[in-house]
Amino acid sequence: MKLSDVMSAMHLAHYAEIALLIFLFVFLAVVVHVLRSEPKASWDRARYLPLEPKSEASNSELRGTIDG
Amino acid sequence: MTAHVDTFSYDDSVVRKFTFATIVWGLVATLVGLWLALMLVAPSLSFGQPWLTFGRLRPLHTNAAIFAFAGNAIFAAIYYSSQRLLKARMFSDKLSAFHFWGWQLIIVAAALTLPFGITQSKEYAELEWPIDIAIAVVWVAFAINFFGTIARRRERHIYVAIWFYIATIVTVAILHIFNNLVVPASLFKSYSVYAGVQDAFMQWWYGHNAVAFFLTTPFLGLMYYFLPKAANRPVFSYRLSILHFWSLVFIYIWAGPHHLHYTALPEWASTLGMLFSVMLWMPSWGGMINGLLTLRGAWSKVAVDPVLKFFVVGVTFYGMATFEGPMLSVKSVNALSHYTDWTIAHVHSGALGWNGFMTFGMLYWLAPKLFQTKLWSKKLADAHFWIGTLGILFYIVAIYAAGVTQGLMWRAFDETGRLMYPDFVETVVRIVPMYWVRAVGGTMFVLGVVMCFVNLFMTWRSRPARYALEKHEAPALGDYAGKEPVFVLPAQRTMLDFAYQIRYFAAASWHRMWERRPLRFTIWVTAAVAVASLFEIIPTFLIRSNVPTIASVEPYTPLELAGRDIYVAEGCYNCHSQMVRPIRAETERYGEYSKPGEFVYDHPFQWGSRRIGPDLHRVGGKYPDLWHVRHMDDPRSTTPQSLMPRYSWLLEDELDFGSIQRKVDVMALLGVPYGDAVNHAEAMARKQASEIGKRIVEQGGPPALETKEIVALTAYLQRLGTDIKKVKPGSPPAPGRLEAEAPEKGPGQTAAVTP
Repeated sequence: MKLSDVMSAMHLAHYAEIALLIFLFVFLAVVVHVLRSEPKASWDRARYLPLEPKSEASNSELRGTIDG
Repeated sequence: MTAHVDTFSYDDSVVRKFTFATIVWGLVATLVGLWLALMLVAPSLSFGQPWLTFGRLRPLHTNAAIFAFAGNAIFAAIYYSSQRLLKARMFSDKLSAFHFWGWQLIIVAAALTLPFGITQSKEYAELEWPIDIAIAVVWVAFAINFFGTIARRRERHIYVAIWFYIATIVTVAILHIFNNLVVPASLFKSYSVYAGVQDAFMQWWYGHNAVAFFLTTPFLGLMYYFLPKAANRPVFSYRLSILHFWSLVFIYIWAGPHHLHYTALPEWASTLGMLFSVMLWMPSWGGMINGLLTLRGAWSKVAVDPVLKFFVVGVTFYGMATFEGPMLSVKSVNALSHYTDWTIAHVHSGALGWNGFMTFGMLYWLAPKLFQTKLWSKKLADAHFWIGTLGILFYIVAIYAAGVTQGLMWRAFDETGRLMYPDFVETVVRIVPMYWVRAVGGTMFVLGVVMCFVNLFMTWRSRPARYALEKHEAPALGDYAGKEPVFVLPAQRTMLDFAYQIRYFAAASWHRMWERRPLRFTIWVTAAVAVASLFEIIPTFLIRSNVPTIASVEPYTPLELAGRDIYVAEGCYNCHSQMVRPIRAETERYGEYSKPGEFVYDHPFQWGSRRIGPDLHRVGGKYPDLWHVRHMDDPRSTTPQSLMPRYSWLLEDELDFGSIQRKVDVMALLGVPYGDAVNHAEAMARKQASEIGKRIVEQGGPPALETKEIVALTAYLQRLGTDIKKVKPGSPPAPGRLEAEAPEKGPGQTAAVTP
């Protein structure tokens, strides 16, 4: 029996739905990560990397982020 | 204990080189594009030269825009930003130089081969196999240099821009290799290992993701670095960038089949492509919002800073294009838009607005830093912004109007149920005024590029005699001081290990770990891309019902195969499709809709993606041989208002009969059942050519054409779409034939969709 015989006999009618479920799992895992409570300093450390070694942006100008 | 502090410098010379290459190739790409736009209103601009026709120059324009202009731009961005984000000089200056010069040689090779008809005919993958190998070698050198730099970094955290670069490098390599698998027939000719439906699927898996991973992800990386730098604000939300990245990488790769709605592609693949395309709205707009909100508190700067102006409009065009893309992937919308200029407008709003303006913003920001002087003229940069913006608007508004007009005219029926515009050229003539407006918009955009070139050149001229070499300091990266989970075999786990691992996963600390572990990060990106790809590719290749065979479909004769190669070389697919969709307006106009089984010997497929001229899949037998001879010699002799260039040389150039045997042998190697032709291909071709030559003379045409290229092309065109009309003695009726022969309803209407 060839692999194409197996695949042809599988009748993958719900193929698209399986793909969506895989994506949903990955998406939820990432959402859990970004929504968990982590110190604002940790996110700011990452956000500020392009502006190193020095930045003129003051703290008051950073209000409005959703990271902290 | 104090960490050891390293002193180092960055390699900006390679960034300067890529910067210049970007603007030079940008000028070339847009000038060729403008020339093509003018050809659509004045076909005589090809001057009867084979290498100046629309079919041959259009791939040069697309390749120059994507791989030369955008390619050099992303390399400049990656080399500049990666060194700074990783606090390390590039891994190897020699590899950087090899990458730069290798890439420019590849572009020159493309410019020298495409106008001469050396092409694989797969959109954005036209370059022939020796150049494809060179691309793979240069890309691997780039990857070694990039990942080597990551390995030697002095910053533990891998910033989000680097994630997008990683996704680009990994995915482009996968796409390039698998879409370009061919068997060479000579140094400049090869045949795809895939045929028909499978080749179309692979091509648009590649084509769509070339947009995703060459024109989107690296430019998002560019946005995440250069926009905060120019605004002097950190990115709005790092959380959103994580969500944006993974959603985009995971979803984009599934969406390719939306380029093939209502074609012979299996229904399930088409639906899957549509679903994931619609889902792309979410990450695309997440990225756009993150980019625009980075400017919070800095909007006043936008009014006075041309760099920020370019970035704001660039990101806005990204939002518009990524709204429109999913909309066009919805089948009912696609039924109207596909093959029309609507797609061209969509592509140019993305390419000129998003890729173009993000690049110009970056160049104007980089120039003073790279050349260690002031920008020559801020006013000229401002003027570039305004003329470029207006140019894009003129261009896309005209072409959106042209696309919708085409789509509506193609499907218009009168009150008696007949096509309102049965002659295709009527729909061409109607949009010519819009093509003129497009040419005006294109001219304005090109003028903007010239302004940018002048500004950068003059800035470079005022550079110091010697560039100052800035020294940087950063502590070397030691071992990670935080706590990380240790993998313990299940049998040896204590309850404490188990509890710790659950807590670690629940707290999602795994992603934080990936962000400092580039190898693991790269593996997961590769897995996301590979899973999605294999999920679609394996069933497409292995489920037999996807491509039901049709008994009467046979391989092309050796002469037809030679004619097909001429069709490919002339780039006919750039203006003509070979795919009649199961839509009533199409079956009325062209005939029976196309079946998957009709393309099983098409290496490569020639379905096309655009109809500047009519579909050709059922053109076989529609006209006498002499009509094709006259039409190719002078299209306006048979269709007075045609926009097609003349192909007079096909009546003069000798057909290379000597190469036919080798081509047939390669086809046989790919599994095409050629039987006796494997040994007698040239003789068979000469015999068929002689018969066609005699028929042309009998029909009142010129003598002595039996050795010319026109005979081979005529043989191929006369064969197109005719196999399902033949009945093979003793064969059961093929699935396509049952529908084709449905009584009373006319050809091909049994399964046709009424839009």
